[in-house]
Amino acid sequence: MIEVNQLTKTFRLSKEAKKQAKQNKLDPRQQGQNFQALKNVSFSCEQGQVLGLLGPNGAGKTTTLRILASALKPDSGSILINGEDLVKKPQLAKQKIGFLSTKTGLYNRLTAQENIEYFARLHGMAKSDINIQGELLYQQLGIEDYLHRRVDTLSSGMMQKVSIARAVIHQPEVLILDEPTTGLDIMATETILEFIESQKELGRPVIFSTHHLDEVSMLADKLAIIDQGQSCFTGSISALQEQTQCSDLRKAFMKVLSLKGEA
Amino acid sequence: MLQVYLKELTELLRDRKTLFFIIALPLIIFPVMFGLMGVLVANVAMDEQQKVLKYSLINGEQAPEFAEALFYHRDFTLIELPLANDTEINDAVGNGEVDVVIQISENHQQVLDNSSQDNWQVYFNNASQLNFVKQKVNKVFNSYVTNIRQQRLTELNLSNEQFVAISKPVVLKTVDTADERESIGEQVGGILPYLLIVLCMTGAMYPAIDIGAGEKERGTLETLLLTPMPRVSIVMGKFFTIMTTGIITALITVFSLVFWSFVIGEIADVAVVRRILSSVGTGDLLLILLMLVPISSIFAALLLAISIYARSFKEAQNYMGPMSILGFFPVMVAMLPGIKLDGFWSLVPISNVALAIKEILKGTIDYSMLFSILASSTFFAVLSISFCVYWFNKESVLFR
Repeated sequence: MIEVNQLTKTFRLSKEAKKQAKQNKLDPRQQGQNFQALKNVSFSCEQGQVLGLLGPNGAGKTTTLRILASALKPDSGSILINGEDLVKKPQLAKQKIGFLSTKTGLYNRLTAQENIEYFARLHGMAKSDINIQGELLYQQLGIEDYLHRRVDTLSSGMMQKVSIARAVIHQPEVLILDEPTTGLDIMATETILEFIESQKELGRPVIFSTHHLDEVSMLADKLAIIDQGQSCFTGSISALQEQTQCSDLRKAFMKVLSLKGEA
Repeated sequence: MLQVYLKELTELLRDRKTLFFIIALPLIIFPVMFGLMGVLVANVAMDEQQKVLKYSLINGEQAPEFAEALFYHRDFTLIELPLANDTEINDAVGNGEVDVVIQISENHQQVLDNSSQDNWQVYFNNASQLNFVKQKVNKVFNSYVTNIRQQRLTELNLSNEQFVAISKPVVLKTVDTADERESIGEQVGGILPYLLIVLCMTGAMYPAIDIGAGEKERGTLETLLLTPMPRVSIVMGKFFTIMTTGIITALITVFSLVFWSFVIGEIADVAVVRRILSSVGTGDLLLILLMLVPISSIFAALLLAISIYARSFKEAQNYMGPMSILGFFPVMVAMLPGIKLDGFWSLVPISNVALAIKEILKGTIDYSMLFSILASSTFFAVLSISFCVYWFNKESVLFR
């Protein structure tokens, strides 16, 4: 289980961002030299649950996921995986979390296998474990045929599969996916969706951010909606529909955002 | 760290651009470029040497022997032009009607009769570095002057020896106490450190951009940062990769230049190269290599820091330009005459290594200086690496 409690994150604005902010409408999150990206964001995801993280562009989804993956440090708040606080132990977070985004994060000049094994070694895996876990994954994802091909010769679907293998080779306890299907073709998108489904069956909590509400309705057990760095809603899809009195997920999502705006 | 280093090196070696900059460029392109330049220059020089010069002579009747010698010389052909003043002469040379105009003084014979010294003028375009006008005119002129001198000596009843004794009563002969190695070292010692140090930097530039800003742009850096590998190890792995490529580029280029200088011949005289190589021992070469390590580490750390700060490949390239000037400057300072390796200069980073390489080549290195050079260079390298690690830990730099 992963529990995110009261996450807050402030960035110091760069000169360019300050200029941009002056030109555009003033964002209420901008406070002098600082920009409050997140304010008291909380949600949780049980074992075998898929949580869809929703929000408009610039809402703070990527910042949230980067904090979960320990790429960024929060100003305050906690992230607990089965009771262990990852904010205090970022190295532990990196062991327990698998991260995937649209950018495959693969090295083009290495082969598919070299990429996967490189990340496995960086996670401290022994050669024998890499071989055993690798064999299983390659078979499961059906990537054996192009394991020895350089990544820059692979199709986007193939790359996504390799990227999945790269993200889970170290057998993480939680999976985090940042807009994993954005810009992908139907085949590659299908690969990702099937993968999320399989992880759910394995009992791994999966947190994924997306703009595609059809994917959310198909996969998510739970939603966390954030806007302007703050939580708007946390709960199941049916709870959202009930709260907004809208059966259409898109309308329900829009209503939550407008209610937050009014508040 | 070793994992990161090996992976970065593997990736770089599979990149055509890197291979081009590190291996192909120094091994093939530079020598081909220099060879072509040599051939072109040699051809132009040959053409200039074989060129028959169109000339005009003013007051030729005053020196008929000279006029006749020019007229019958195979390097000259006479063009009769009415040239009344300097403007007309300049125009004639400027628009290519003639290559040279020789103006003999109006009263040349009278001056000769008075045993005085006369002045003539030679007009030609001296802008081109490859012209033989002066040499060709001098050849005929010197022969004419020698004849006149001989006549005067005969008139004065003086022998050639007596003339030499009168014109130069005392000759100051210089005896060079520097051995051959020191002399060669002084000549080559300015260029080699420049070449080595600059190449250490330029060779490291492309890999630095690729594994810093390039990785950021391709989105692989974020994935790398999400692994449990400590940031220091990631930085050190990348840093050693850049340093390695810098040193390899410098070594390949120097090897290539020496090799091709044997082959081409135009670039450097073979005997000179052999003498240089034989005068510098293996120990000295290893010492030069050792000097490249701290300097490459300073460059590698600075380049990596710049590259990681940049948002994109292009932005990193923009920052590298001014950085190159900063790198060249201390090397240029070390090449200035009068700057010698002493207590002060041994502490100035980059300049100290340039000066030390020069001294090693000359065989005059004070080995005690090596400690302060290495200590100073290591200090600045560690400082640069620490700065690099600091930046690698800054969210505002990594996620700009």
